[in-house]
Amino acid sequence: MLYLSQVRGRKVWDAWSRPVGRCADILVGNLEQPFPPVVALVLKDHGAPAHLIPAEQISELFPEVVLRVPREEITPYTPHGEVLPLGERVLDRQVVDTEGRRVVRVNDLQIARVNDHFCLTGVDVGGRGLLRRLGVERPAVALARRLRRRLPESVIPWEDVAPLQHGDPLRLRISRERISRLPPADIAAILNDLDRRTGQALLSRLDNETLADTLEESPPEVQVAALSQLAPERAADILEEMGPDEAADLLADLPTETSARLLDLMEDEDAEDVQALLGYPEDSAGGIMTTEFAWVPVGLRAAEALDYLRRSPDAQDDEAMYYVYILDPERRLRGVVSLRDLVMAQPDRPLDEEAEESPVTVDPYASQKDVAYLMAKYDLLAVPVVDSRTGEMLGIVTVDDAVDTILPTAWKKRLPRLY
Amino acid sequence: MTLKSRAGSVLRRIWFFLAILGPGLITANAGNDAPGIATYSMAGSTYGYHLLWLLAVMAVGLVIVQEMAARMGAVTGKGTADLIRERFGVRVTAFAMLCLLLANLGTTVAQFAGIAAGAEMFGLSRYVAVPLAALLVGFIVLRGSYTHVEKVLLALCLSALSYVVSAFILHPPWEEILRQAVIPTFQSNPQYILAVLATIGTTVTPWGIVYIQASVADKGVDLKEYRYTRLDVAVGAAWGNIVSACIVICTAATLYVHGISVETAEQAAVALEPLAGAGARYLFSVGLLGASLLAASVLPLSTTYAVCEAFGWERGLDQRLRDAPIFYGLYTAIIAFSALVVLIPGIPLFPIMWLSQSLNAILLPVLLVLALVLANDRRVMGEWANRRVQNWLVGGLTVMIAVITVALFVLPLTVAR
Repeated sequence: MLYLSQVRGRKVWDAWSRPVGRCADILVGNLEQPFPPVVALVLKDHGAPAHLIPAEQISELFPEVVLRVPREEITPYTPHGEVLPLGERVLDRQVVDTEGRRVVRVNDLQIARVNDHFCLTGVDVGGRGLLRRLGVERPAVALARRLRRRLPESVIPWEDVAPLQHGDPLRLRISRERISRLPPADIAAILNDLDRRTGQALLSRLDNETLADTLEESPPEVQVAALSQLAPERAADILEEMGPDEAADLLADLPTETSARLLDLMEDEDAEDVQALLGYPEDSAGGIMTTEFAWVPVGLRAAEALDYLRRSPDAQDDEAMYYVYILDPERRLRGVVSLRDLVMAQPDRPLDEEAEESPVTVDPYASQKDVAYLMAKYDLLAVPVVDSRTGEMLGIVTVDDAVDTILPTAWKKRLPRLY
Repeated sequence: MTLKSRAGSVLRRIWFFLAILGPGLITANAGNDAPGIATYSMAGSTYGYHLLWLLAVMAVGLVIVQEMAARMGAVTGKGTADLIRERFGVRVTAFAMLCLLLANLGTTVAQFAGIAAGAEMFGLSRYVAVPLAALLVGFIVLRGSYTHVEKVLLALCLSALSYVVSAFILHPPWEEILRQAVIPTFQSNPQYILAVLATIGTTVTPWGIVYIQASVADKGVDLKEYRYTRLDVAVGAAWGNIVSACIVICTAATLYVHGISVETAEQAAVALEPLAGAGARYLFSVGLLGASLLAASVLPLSTTYAVCEAFGWERGLDQRLRDAPIFYGLYTAIIAFSALVVLIPGIPLFPIMWLSQSLNAILLPVLLVLALVLANDRRVMGEWANRRVQNWLVGGLTVMIAVITVALFVLPLTVAR
């Protein structure tokens, strides 16, 4: 194992042991490979412009950088495809550790010899890398040994690393793929750790669905900042993609002109749902409910109900579907059946016999706290929101939204990053 | 354009300015914290109006340096430590962070000295007040209710305003003041040089640079609206310096004229007697306590953030203790060390407050040079890189501080010979 810090700045010798300059940087290519190969070395000689030596002409990197060929036979390397200058673009920068799902800083880069060529194998993010860069790794290790301790190494394999570029963090396809695969909540947490500009650039390069899911998990300032960067048409698409409750919260945080414009651009059906939600205070049942829930008409048997659900667009949109609601033609709630009971019921059993006929409901103006209390008391995963005047069922509050007041999500605890 | 719409647009502009206002004003006024008040009181009572020219020079220096830091924050969206690490690598970063840590540790000790001095003027022993304050600061920050507390403490700091009012009540010799403000005078003894360094180091501070860059970066200023940030920085610096000058004028007119060189907080409070009479000591100690508590809760945290950011250690109050041991460890260590130093029996509080600022000034050039290189790097700053005038001014300031520092160490040798 050798490290970039042990190679950078070293003298480069040609095949006849004549000095030709110093190694300024190392380039890797074929980035989609788990361990991309070193393709070239940046050579600097005082006064002369830097030039690239292809990997095939390098014999050794450590303890000395030695070339296979005499000085006169160096053939300059011309970069093709995506290449990454390690010292300039990766060392000392922030990268995303996609396994640990966090932002880390690169203290050093690990390079290994595989058969006949060199590969980038890992990123050193630990204290040992820092000590090496300070030039005190050896004394520190000796000291640790004397104290009968081991200095922990923390090297992340390169295949779990997504390098970010300032201004355009996802310019590298490999980073885009690795980050898009993460759960949205983790992407949101990573955004929190990045500087503002890089974070926003990262957001805007995600695809619509990932972006919508990530925004749902992000604090309001990030949501507003990200959305205002996008073209209005795309912003409207993202809002459609989000749950109506989250979309309504976000629109409420935008200036009135902007939110009206975005509502205009959204598809009518989604816009209506969102508009209905915008009428309720933010911390009321109406403010946190979603209008997308699975329901069936009265009078079905279990098998028919399951069949109905499969074809129902409302059921398609229901993200969790803990319960199925039975509604009459005026959309009044007639009963609730848990999905479990529905699936387990005999196919020809009338649904009314399985259902809870007078379920716990809440008014859209009930406070979020009361809703959370009710759900805890009755052990519910979702509670229907019913207009107490007309009896019409408006939506459901799911447990994750209700407990937000009691257990604030991580970002709510967070202070302004620095002050 | 009708009158109404014009008025509307003017109002919108004012509103916009107020919304964007903040980092500059807060930073400059935080310059008038406990060590600031101590330093200016010492300077005014010991040297009368003789150091006013330095304040005029530092007003320019403050605007230029803070603007540069704010611009770096606005352009890159990154903190100072972040930029230093990415541009200069580990060794330089380690050195810079060591300097920042030392300077901020000194200033935090000074804040706790301010708390101790303020509490003792209320008759409360420092052995009770300082541990209490340390717990309070930790509690405020870790509970996350900081933003509310910040407003209360900022209001307490407004008592620094009483110096501005006093300065006019006192009817000081304005002609003399004006003359001293434009004509530099020098003395060549170590005491004077220390006082000069303290005045520099309490006006332009390493932590001020880091703080303003971080808050502008975090606020996410749109570069099209950068001129408002620039205005905020300039207004903040100008106002901060007016308050500083008033402290010097008040102490000069009340203490220097009687030959009293301030050595305790009690004496420093006398400068407010023309305004508040017998209540002066309370006015003074409330201001001292408010400013000290505010800075004592900001400084350790922003230092810890900067250091952890530079080295990529887990940081942030949303992390659990187990996940971010260095972050919480360093934060606790800074507060504990500062509180303990102040509790050493018989340690003189007032000199600590202003001497820590001399240390600030000695360490400042390190950060200034790095910031200067960064602000000139077009890969980092693009078209927002420094202009020549800015380079000359910051460069001049850096050289001036370096020369004075060298003089501090060389002068005693020549005198001894």
